[in-house]
Amino acid sequence: MISYMEMCGKRDRVEDMEVYAGTDVVNEQLARYGVKFGIYKNNEFKEQLFPFDMIPRVIDSVEFAYLEKGLKQRVKALNLFIADIYGNKRIIKDEVIPEEFIYAGSGYLPQCEGIVPPKGVYSHISGIDLVQSKDGTWYILEDNLRIPSGASYPMIARSITRRSDPSLFTGKHIEDNRNYADMLRHTMDYVSCGGHTVILTPGRYNAAYFEHSYLAEKTGAHLVSGHELIVENDHLYFIDYSGRKERVGAVYRRISDEYLDPMSFNEGSVIGIPHIFDIYRKGNVALINAPGNGVADDKGIYYFVPKMIKYYLGEEPILNNAPTYLPFYKDDMKYVLEHFDDLVLKDVAEAGGYGVVFGNKLTREEKARFIAMLKKEPRRFIAQEVIDFVDIEIMEKGEFVPRKADLRAFVLMAEEPMVWKSGLTRFSRNPDSFIVNSSQGGGFKDTWVLSQ
Amino acid sequence: MGIISIENTDRLFWLGRYTERVYTTIKIFADRFDSMIDFDEIEYGKFCESQDIPNIYKSREDFSQKYCFSLEDENSIFSNLMRAYDNAIVLREEIGSESLSYIQLAVYAMNQASLSNAPLLGLQKVTDNIAAFWGMADDDIDESQIRNIIKVGKLIERIDIYSRLGKDPDMLRREARRLSNRIDKSQIRYSMKTLAHVNYLVQLDDVPYDTLTDAVERLVVDTN
Repeated sequence: MISYMEMCGKRDRVEDMEVYAGTDVVNEQLARYGVKFGIYKNNEFKEQLFPFDMIPRVIDSVEFAYLEKGLKQRVKALNLFIADIYGNKRIIKDEVIPEEFIYAGSGYLPQCEGIVPPKGVYSHISGIDLVQSKDGTWYILEDNLRIPSGASYPMIARSITRRSDPSLFTGKHIEDNRNYADMLRHTMDYVSCGGHTVILTPGRYNAAYFEHSYLAEKTGAHLVSGHELIVENDHLYFIDYSGRKERVGAVYRRISDEYLDPMSFNEGSVIGIPHIFDIYRKGNVALINAPGNGVADDKGIYYFVPKMIKYYLGEEPILNNAPTYLPFYKDDMKYVLEHFDDLVLKDVAEAGGYGVVFGNKLTREEKARFIAMLKKEPRRFIAQEVIDFVDIEIMEKGEFVPRKADLRAFVLMAEEPMVWKSGLTRFSRNPDSFIVNSSQGGGFKDTWVLSQ
Repeated sequence: MGIISIENTDRLFWLGRYTERVYTTIKIFADRFDSMIDFDEIEYGKFCESQDIPNIYKSREDFSQKYCFSLEDENSIFSNLMRAYDNAIVLREEIGSESLSYIQLAVYAMNQASLSNAPLLGLQKVTDNIAAFWGMADDDIDESQIRNIIKVGKLIERIDIYSRLGKDPDMLRREARRLSNRIDKSQIRYSMKTLAHVNYLVQLDDVPYDTLTDAVERLVVDTN
């Protein structure tokens, strides 16, 4: 990665201040277009603006080519893994992954056994979280294969930034990231079983509702709620204003597996579509992403992804996992207890930056309580070395200040995996924090990938 | 032609109604406010009666503040603007981000107006944004049905308010004519008999305003 300031070479302080002023202009525009995310505080829904920082993360073409190769490899292996788990289960039989890690995780859905989705694609949209350490090494932090969100933010920020300050982009050979909607549309069309394509939203009180509606607008898909769809004669239909039924062939669903179909999963779900899972099983509709993908993005399974790559592809992993330990294994438990203060522990059932504990931040009593819990439920946690990841400059009150940032890369799967030449760079606004999630006050940047 | 759900048809219709309600009530409020400059009291009681809203206000100042800006007052202009916003925000893929942005800007303008020392000028920015929304919707939305549903909502609301305020029959006739030319193009369900009745009522020399208000409210069936 190169810094934006390095890239711009001779920019002087006056121009830097123009960038600062530009940040306000772009944030004003983002507010105008309702670029928000929802958050529940004290049981009350609130919409918050997602703070944007104008200084982009810049990744040069050589470095991105390396990331692209590694990301494609990883997502290919993850797709093969999901197919194997709901199919022949070779990886378990060959004792590469202990079966406890498959069946004890909440992401495994027995209902998906034996199902092969349209065109054999399971993870159509994968959000892979990476960080870069200070020595320049990239590490994968997390695979998100259920309903990863975030692509819409750099997409709209790029459109606005280009309008607000065209000179920033002149002559810099930056890959255009506004093609995400085309890539997504192609991905959806590739697996469609015929008819309309819809984006299924739980509604405007969902945290990512802006993204649902924006992607619907940009892809030309219809944004729908569960009650606007109906299963009849083994097919899915959208009911229009006149009562006419229109066939639907692909559903980019932005609701969780458990709420997708009250007849197959959570029977109390009022946002799902009764019997949609039955017709999915019959191959009459594509569900994007496929139900049951959680089996592959469980934090416990993350540990095994490098092994999957070797097992399914016969290749060495190109991208590294962060050094991870599974207290489930006796040796790893010993290491974790001996190096507790140097590690970050993560609850495999949590997401969004929650359930993350830094060993050295606990009091003696908290540590004792945590270790007791760890010994009682070793499968519930993973431990990772704390990666001192690279700081990225942000603008704050007229000053450049360093902050921790990660990168969510998006890999879309159609005939072949496609890596979006951009990504969501999220940063912590708190100087002492490694937590970058928007729900915890983080902001975002555009990610520039250079084309030469 | 794209596909539009019953729910979105409803939302488009109400988006038209609420934007018109905000636009017209701000204009009426501004007129009344102007009269306060020369006369001591604003006749807000009569205004509430004409709009069929409860007079919960304690004074002229209380009316001016709450009727414009209080979100706790369900009949306030701001509450109606938020209803427009609530409909618009779930219609992004139908009306487009550009059109939607003007509703968002109207909400910001309303917030600013509520804090302003010159609220009338602040409210003018709200109407500017609503007018821009209508213009952008007309220019930017491909689907004629979507444009027509919004316009039908807007025209019905306008006739409703004008009728409640006992406006000049010529104004009512003009709006009724526009509505008659538009309503079939929107493909929303309505009562042809009631439309004929509305057209008959506005042509009378002595327009029976209460009857007209009632008729226009009943015009669109199955759209609540």
